[in-house]
Amino acid sequence: MPLGVRAALYVALRVLAAAAVGVLLGLVFGRVWIGVAAALAAYLAWQLWLLVRLDAWLRNRRTADPPDVASGLWGDVITQVVRLHRRKRFHKDRVMRVLRELRRSTAAMPDGVVILNGENEIVWFNEKASEYLDLTRKVDYGLRIDNLVRMPEFTRYLQSGQYTLPAIIRVDPGDDRYLAFQLVSYGEGQRLLMVRDVSRRVSLEIMRKDFIANASHELRSPLTVISGYLETLASESGLPPDLAEPLAEMRRQSARMTGIIEDLLVLSRLESADGQVEGEPVDVGAMLATLRKDILARPLHPAKVELRVDSQAQLLGNETMLHSAFMNLVENAAKYTPASGSIGLRWWTDARGGHFAVSDTGPGIAAEHIPRLTERFYRVDIGRSRATGGSGLGLAIVKHALQRHGAELEIRSEEGRGSTFTCHFPATRVAQPVTRAASG
Amino acid sequence: METADLSHHISRRFNADLERVRSKVMAMGGLVEEQLAKAVAALIDGDSNLGVAVARDDYKVNDMEVSIDEECQRILATRAPTAGDLRVIVAIIKTITDLERIGDEAEKIGYIGSRLASMERPADRYREIKHLGRIVGEMLHEALDTFARMDAEAAIQVAHKDRIVDEEYEAIQRQGITFMMEDPRNISRALDVMWVVRALERIGDHAKNICEYVIYVVHGKDVRHTRLEDVERELRDRGDNR
Repeated sequence: MPLGVRAALYVALRVLAAAAVGVLLGLVFGRVWIGVAAALAAYLAWQLWLLVRLDAWLRNRRTADPPDVASGLWGDVITQVVRLHRRKRFHKDRVMRVLRELRRSTAAMPDGVVILNGENEIVWFNEKASEYLDLTRKVDYGLRIDNLVRMPEFTRYLQSGQYTLPAIIRVDPGDDRYLAFQLVSYGEGQRLLMVRDVSRRVSLEIMRKDFIANASHELRSPLTVISGYLETLASESGLPPDLAEPLAEMRRQSARMTGIIEDLLVLSRLESADGQVEGEPVDVGAMLATLRKDILARPLHPAKVELRVDSQAQLLGNETMLHSAFMNLVENAAKYTPASGSIGLRWWTDARGGHFAVSDTGPGIAAEHIPRLTERFYRVDIGRSRATGGSGLGLAIVKHALQRHGAELEIRSEEGRGSTFTCHFPATRVAQPVTRAASG
Repeated sequence: METADLSHHISRRFNADLERVRSKVMAMGGLVEEQLAKAVAALIDGDSNLGVAVARDDYKVNDMEVSIDEECQRILATRAPTAGDLRVIVAIIKTITDLERIGDEAEKIGYIGSRLASMERPADRYREIKHLGRIVGEMLHEALDTFARMDAEAAIQVAHKDRIVDEEYEAIQRQGITFMMEDPRNISRALDVMWVVRALERIGDHAKNICEYVIYVVHGKDVRHTRLEDVERELRDRGDNR
């Protein structure tokens, strides 16, 4: 311990020096011990005085200059303290600067950002978020977000636990402001809530839907006139024979166009509202029996159309929508199945809900087409689907009608073997028949 | 804010219970706000489907009231809260009653809105209802905000707005009487409009009640049936003496 030894030597030397001065003074005045005591007391007082000054300086070292003790032990101590202090301030400044820049950049973000903890309490938010959500800085830190942002749809989104897709919510039914909310988890229980103003995008989307609905509606009346005249012309007897074939083709095409427009109208009606439809009991068994009869009544149909109704449970939903969805699925199956093939319809329920499946022995669909099948006007084979006269909107209608019922469409297919389209309805959409409940 | 500090409670489970109930109240408030906004929009846009939907969905508000009420009773019975916590529970029980009433008024507006949708729209497209509806909607929103933040000062400010609502109500009433005197054929619709305006005015009163419960929770003082100026002065004096 050379340092400790040196310090001890230093202290001893100082005290001895003070004592020596005391002895000298004592010799001068003739009382040695009083001189020594006085000198030691003075030395002690001097040391304490320096200690008091150091303490005073440490208390407000931000403003005051350090005491000017250049040499000796106290000088060393003060230099050490000043150095430590400077180094600390340097690091602190740097951290503060980084933090400030981080905050400034988050604050300047065009989107609203709210940091939430595991209990949905607000930890921090930026300027935009306070503008969008009407939050007050500092005051609202620590409050639960769902106590301040109370739109029922937002509360549902927050509690749903499924944050892969953003929730687009109309702020007030009275005006056209829409916000998109997206939750992102990070760290331990921390979550980031991003808020964006999507009013413009939503209004464009609404304009697009309105345009399609209006355009289809406007196209319908002139087309009715054309079809009507074609009908009359075809029944005319004095027509030149070389016009017969073009006329027949014109009638086929105008019928097809009518079909497309009808489908567009159905689709735009399905799209015009979102959210779940109200549930009215629909007798699926009876509906499927009618659909089966319709298919068998056609001049060209698969040899076998099998119907299996395994459950008497009713489906809660909108009958018109369900009918157009089921009809499209059954028609597709019939269309793509050769006359020698067969199709099967099946309705059954289990713990997970109700299920409707249509299977056919048609050519099947290649796996790469399946994810895109429900897109509008998506064609697997352009030549063939034109020949069968589809509108290209059937499966889009199915998808939308099912969405409005909280149901999902599952497509399984094997090339050359056939395809199965299954609609899965949630259990809340299934109503067990009353008779069974009474007997059980 | 000395009594409203709910985060430092001795019993953590009790605290969690209280927070959960409070959140449910705010969720109920959000639903009621939406119902009101939808009802007014249904009337102004002549959307009968929306009006019917509002009237139909009132049961959701009622269900929430019952469930929160039960939870409050359970907390009272099992935890026997005192002081500030007791005041919070009492305020919650009162607030949900007011919220339920607001729900009923919104149901009424929705119902009248769906009926008026089939009639010819007046030239001004119910401008005055739109205006009053916006004021009342804002007032309800701010009242619930003060409840969420337990901010008594803001609550007094919001409660003041009830006076604006009352003035608007009287102005529309006078206007309605003029319409009816001008042409007796207006009477039927003017009466319907009057019902709606009356319902909005009542909603303003209920929102004011909620503000008074906030003052009660924070300051432990019942300020119902007291003039707002007196309340303000007294609370200021108490603040000075502290």
